[in-house]
Amino acid sequence: MLSVRELSAGYDGSVVVDRVDLDVEDGEVVALIGANGAGKTTLLRAIAGLHLAVSGEVIFEGRSLAGSSAAEVARRGLRLVPSDRRLFPDMSVRENLQLGAHPRRVGQRDLSAVVDLFPRIAERWGQRAGTLSGGEQQMVALARALVGRPTLLVLDEPTTGLAPRLAAELYQALAELRAQTGVTVLVAEQQLPRVLELADRGVVLEHGRIRRQGTAQDLRDDPEVRRAYLGVD
Amino acid sequence: MAILLDGLVLGLQLAVLGVGVSLVFGLSGVLDLAYGAKIVVAAVVGSELLGAGGARWWVLPVVVLISTLLSLSVDRTVLAPAHRRSGEARVVLSLLVTLAVAFVLDGIVVSVRPHAALSLGIGGAPMEVMGVTMRRGSLVAAGLALTVLVVAFLLLQATRLGRAIRCVIQDEEGAQLCGVEPGRVRTIVVVLSGALAGVVAITQGLSSSVSTADGFDLTILAVVVAVVGGLGRVGGAVVAGILLGLVHAVATELLGASATWVVLLSAAALTILVRPEGVLGLEGWRRASQEHARTEADA
Repeated sequence: MLSVRELSAGYDGSVVVDRVDLDVEDGEVVALIGANGAGKTTLLRAIAGLHLAVSGEVIFEGRSLAGSSAAEVARRGLRLVPSDRRLFPDMSVRENLQLGAHPRRVGQRDLSAVVDLFPRIAERWGQRAGTLSGGEQQMVALARALVGRPTLLVLDEPTTGLAPRLAAELYQALAELRAQTGVTVLVAEQQLPRVLELADRGVVLEHGRIRRQGTAQDLRDDPEVRRAYLGVD
Repeated sequence: MAILLDGLVLGLQLAVLGVGVSLVFGLSGVLDLAYGAKIVVAAVVGSELLGAGGARWWVLPVVVLISTLLSLSVDRTVLAPAHRRSGEARVVLSLLVTLAVAFVLDGIVVSVRPHAALSLGIGGAPMEVMGVTMRRGSLVAAGLALTVLVVAFLLLQATRLGRAIRCVIQDEEGAQLCGVEPGRVRTIVVVLSGALAGVVAITQGLSSSVSTADGFDLTILAVVVAVVGGLGRVGGAVVAGILLGLVHAVATELLGASATWVVLLSAAALTILVRPEGVLGLEGWRRASQEHARTEADA
């Protein structure tokens, strides 16, 4: 599905992501784990075509994404939901979702599917997205990506700024989504226990390099990971 | 009543003027200081064609076509370096570039056709509207401006293309994440804004005339309307255009033509001081300052 080869990216000469190799197979959920500043966001933005990589290659569904605009990447089915969500604040929830399907007309089936997943969205249909709470905005952002029928969903710290209860709700919805559609997911997180329950595999990013990777179970048992990310000795 | 109608007739034309500038600024951060010059070029070519004789109606689409092509070619050539930059750098560079374009276009027009003026006098007796006698040309101009505004409104609010345009104005990166190409949308908006410049040339030609010396005044008016409306807010530009049109009419009536310009600009300056976010809405302004705070925090 996704294959990242020797990808380096940075800002003004400083390297933030350093020769990263990363694979995501069809139907897999992969957790990208790392502290603040580890390079998770830059890596995801480079994959989504929003940030120009210095070197390396991203291959999505067998074709290189080199030279593709971020919009083209999105239309090909790789949908990034950034941690700041990037909703259209002056538009209604409905219009935000309609744009998610651009340039197609949004399908009734797609809409009812996301409403099943996030029933709260139905209550907010006509409300301006900018006036929603943080949790609701995250749901709308996810829903907006889903109506675009992604084959790979890329989530950057989806629980940023959410109360624990909402974060749990969100992961519940992601688990449901996975069970229903089998969509492939690459999700960056700092909050370990939750994401490792959802994920099949995890990749640990430190200072822009991949330090370890393995199955979710391996990472949960890894004493280093436990100390660094779970706060357990 | 007469003042009200006069103000409305002028205001609708000002609205078209402001929308053309506001739309482009909202989308790309380019404040087009050559807007008036483009109108003048289109008008002068139109007057040449009229002078050459022949049927008249086909001159109108040609005027619109000329301002559209001019707008597109300026955007594609001299503005390209500005589009490659972002944020403040783009705004400042585009100000300088469009100012230079305005000087060049003005210079060319003045040296080639110093006395040209587009005047589309429409024959026929004045008409009576709600008890007020109005010149036929002014009424046609107002009708045309209103039609164009309604079409632009419907395009923006009720079509998928319009939704794509509005989403790029609100959040360019969010638009990309939805598969909307900001570059393609920009081309469409530049074409639209250019076409609106042509429409202004026509409405001005109908209600009075557009001469080679009018470029600067038209630009100032366009920028004032766009700023009073809240840059990038199309609805705001329409409201601001009509309000300023009314202010203009009242000032002309009470103080005479010589003082109107001062009154108009003072009214605009006052609005900007009291409501820097424009006559409509607070949200855009608040968002811009949040955005600013966020970039500061990131740095």
